[in-house]
Amino acid sequence: MRELSVQFPGREQRALDHLSATIQSGQTIAITGPSGCGKTTLLRTLAGFIPQLIHAEVDGEIRIGDQHLSTIDLAQLSPSIGLVQQDPDAQVCTLRVRSEVAFGPENLCLPPQEVQSRVTQALNALGIAHLAERDTTTLSGGEKQRLAVASILAMQPSVILLDEPTAHLDPEGARDLFDLLGQLQQATACTLIIVEHRLPPLRSLNPHLWVMDTGRLVERNASRVHEDIAHMARQVAVDRSFPSHCRSPQGTLQVDHVSFGYQEALIKDLSLTVEPSMILGVIGPNGGGKTTLLRLIAGLEDPDEGTIVHSEDMTLGMVFQHPHQQIFERTVRRDLEIDGALDESQLATALASARLSGLADAPPQSLSLGEQRRLTVLAAVRGAPDLLLLDEPFIGQDRDNVTWIVEQIRQARDRGAMSCLVTHDIPMANALCDRLLYLGDQAILGTPDDVFNQLREQGNSAFTPEFWEIAE
Amino acid sequence: MIPAMDYHQGSRGLHRVGPGSGLLLLACLLYAVLGASSLVVKAAVLVVVFGLAAWSEGSAWAWCKSLRFVVLFATLLFLAQILAIRDGLVLFRIGIPVTTSGVLSGAHMALRFLVVLSSSFLFVLTTDPDDLASAFIRWGIPYRYGFTLILALRFVPFFRKELRTVREAQRLRGIQTSVRSIKGIRRAIGYTFIPVLVSGLIRVDTIAMSMKGRAFGLHRRRTLPAPRALTIEDGLIWLCCVLLLAGMLLARRLGGS
Repeated sequence: MRELSVQFPGREQRALDHLSATIQSGQTIAITGPSGCGKTTLLRTLAGFIPQLIHAEVDGEIRIGDQHLSTIDLAQLSPSIGLVQQDPDAQVCTLRVRSEVAFGPENLCLPPQEVQSRVTQALNALGIAHLAERDTTTLSGGEKQRLAVASILAMQPSVILLDEPTAHLDPEGARDLFDLLGQLQQATACTLIIVEHRLPPLRSLNPHLWVMDTGRLVERNASRVHEDIAHMARQVAVDRSFPSHCRSPQGTLQVDHVSFGYQEALIKDLSLTVEPSMILGVIGPNGGGKTTLLRLIAGLEDPDEGTIVHSEDMTLGMVFQHPHQQIFERTVRRDLEIDGALDESQLATALASARLSGLADAPPQSLSLGEQRRLTVLAAVRGAPDLLLLDEPFIGQDRDNVTWIVEQIRQARDRGAMSCLVTHDIPMANALCDRLLYLGDQAILGTPDDVFNQLREQGNSAFTPEFWEIAE
Repeated sequence: MIPAMDYHQGSRGLHRVGPGSGLLLLACLLYAVLGASSLVVKAAVLVVVFGLAAWSEGSAWAWCKSLRFVVLFATLLFLAQILAIRDGLVLFRIGIPVTTSGVLSGAHMALRFLVVLSSSFLFVLTTDPDDLASAFIRWGIPYRYGFTLILALRFVPFFRKELRTVREAQRLRGIQTSVRSIKGIRRAIGYTFIPVLVSGLIRVDTIAMSMKGRAFGLHRRRTLPAPRALTIEDGLIWLCCVLLLAGMLLARRLGGS
C-alpha cells in the first residue's frame, strides 16, 4: 500500500488517510484500534470491495506482487484474496453447508472432482466435516464462523483477510479458530490480515501488531496495546460488596428449577437468585443457552418447567445483540422519547452522557455501530429499570464504548438495580460481576473465583481470566 | 406473520423426490384441480395433497401450520360466494337466501384455492432449493437467476426471525402498535418496517460482497454439483402422474370429468 486514502461520499474526514505499508507473503498482521478508525475499510479496500462494490474515492495504490489492484476485477481477484466478514450469518449464500463451501470453487469453473476435493479439505481443516449436509440456518454462531472461514479457504487464496472473526465466538471457539489458522498458515504459507479487538487469543499466531487511529497507521508491533488491554481489565474492577442502602427484599429475581429447550433441552433445572445491586455475568460456549436465559427472564419465552419469580411492578430494560433491531424512530430525539417525553435540557444531558451531543435530530440508522449501541443502552437505562438485561453489549465496541457501557451498568448497580450481562469477555466478567453463571454442559454458579476454579479443575482454560492475560 | 414456507430437511416421501419429479407432480395436481369441473375430483385432489404431506415425514407439521391462513382465506372465499350468488334453489335464509349455486360455486373456488396453495407450499417445504436451482441451471436458465431463487428462499427465515426480534424489542420498550386507526397503522408499519428493512439492507450488502468475493459472475458458466440420483419415489411419482393425466383425458373423452 502506498499513500492509500479512502473517502466516502458525504463524509468530511477520510476513512483511510495516506496509509503506506508493505506486507510480506506469509506474514500475519493483526490490526486493532478504536471503532470507526478505518480497520474494516482497510480490509474491504484490500479485498477490492472498495471502490468496486462500495462507492468511495480511492487515492494511492495497492499492489499485489507486480499487479495494481485497481486494474483487477473483483471477481478475478477473489482466487487471490479472500475476506471473511464480521457477521458470519450474513455472508452465507446457500442453504446447505456443503454447497456453501463449494460455492466459490464452482464459480471458478473447476472440475467437479477438484470442487469436491477442495470442499472436503476445507471442511476437514475447520473440523466441520460432520456438518456437511446440515441446513446453514440451523448452525450455531461458532459453526457459522467456521463455515465462513472454510468457504474462503476452499478458494485457496494466498491472502486471507478476517474482520473480527471472533466477535461472535466463545473464548474456546476463538482460541480454536486461531489455532486452526496457525496450522493453515504453516501448511499453505498464506498471508493473514486480521482485524481484532480481542488480542490475547491471537498469541498462537505471533502476529505483527498494527494500531490504527482516524484512518492512519499509528503504530506497528505496538506493545502499548497489550498494556492498554491489561489496564482496561484492571480499570473496571469494582467493589463487589452490595451497598446496604439499596437492599430491597421485594426486588429479587428468582429462577426456580427452570428447564427450557427448543428441539432439545438448553437449560436444565436451573435455579438462581439475583439480588438488588447484583451484577450477574452469564458466560459459556456458543449455543449454551445464555441468550435464551435472558429471553426467559424478560418473559419472551415461557419455561418448559419451573418458574421465574419477580415482583409484579419490576421494570425492565434490555439491550439486544444488534442495536438496529431496537431503533424505531426517525430521529434520535424521537427514539429516546418513546420511553417518555424529554425537555431540551434533559435530552441534552442524556445525549451528552452518551457522547451523542449534536445528534438529537439525526436519523438513528445513520449513526455508527458504536453510536447506535450507546443509543440503545441509553434508551434501556433511561427509565432507571429495576432489572437490566444486556446481551453481548461489547461486541464490536472499542475501549471508550466498553468503558461507557460499564459505567452505565455500575450506575444501575449503585441505585439498587439488578443486571444480567451475557458476555464472552472473560476479563470483563471477572472484573465487573458479583456472581457468574457458566452455562455449558453443566451450569456452574457462584462468585467469579469459585466459577473459575471449577472451570480450571475441568480443564476449561479458555473461560478463565488468565487465558486472556497478555504474556510478557 | 410470515407463514413457514421455507424448505425443511427430511428423508421420507417427497423429500426423496428430485426437483423435476416434484415440479411434474405439482403441475399435474394443478392441472387436475383447475381442469376438473367435478367437485368430487377437486376434493379427491385435496385428499391426495394431504396424503402426500403425511407421507413426507418431517414436513407435515410445518405444512399444516403454513395452511392456517390459507384455510382462513378459503373460508372467506366460500362465504363471499354464498353471499354474492343468489341463483338456484334456496336452501335456507340467513337474512339473505343461501342457494345451491352459491354453495357449489363457493366450494369449487375454496377447493381450487386450497389445492393450489397447499400443493405449492408442500413443494417448497420438501424441495431442496439448492437442488432446484441446480436443476433450473441444468435446464438452461442462467445461473444468476437460479441463485436469485436460492437467495429469495434464504431470506424467508431471516425476515421471519428479524420480524419476531423487532416485535419483541417493541414489547420490551412498551410500544403498543394498535391497528385500529390510520395513525396506529402508520406507526405500526414504521416501527416494524424500518428496523426490518435496515436489517435486510445490511444483509443484502454483506451477501453481495460475500458472493462477489467468491468469484460469482466471473465466468458465464459455473460447475454444477452432480444431479441427485433417481429414486423409487421418483418412479412412483412419474407413474402416478401418467395415470392421473390418462384418467383425466379419458374422463374428458367420455364426456364427464
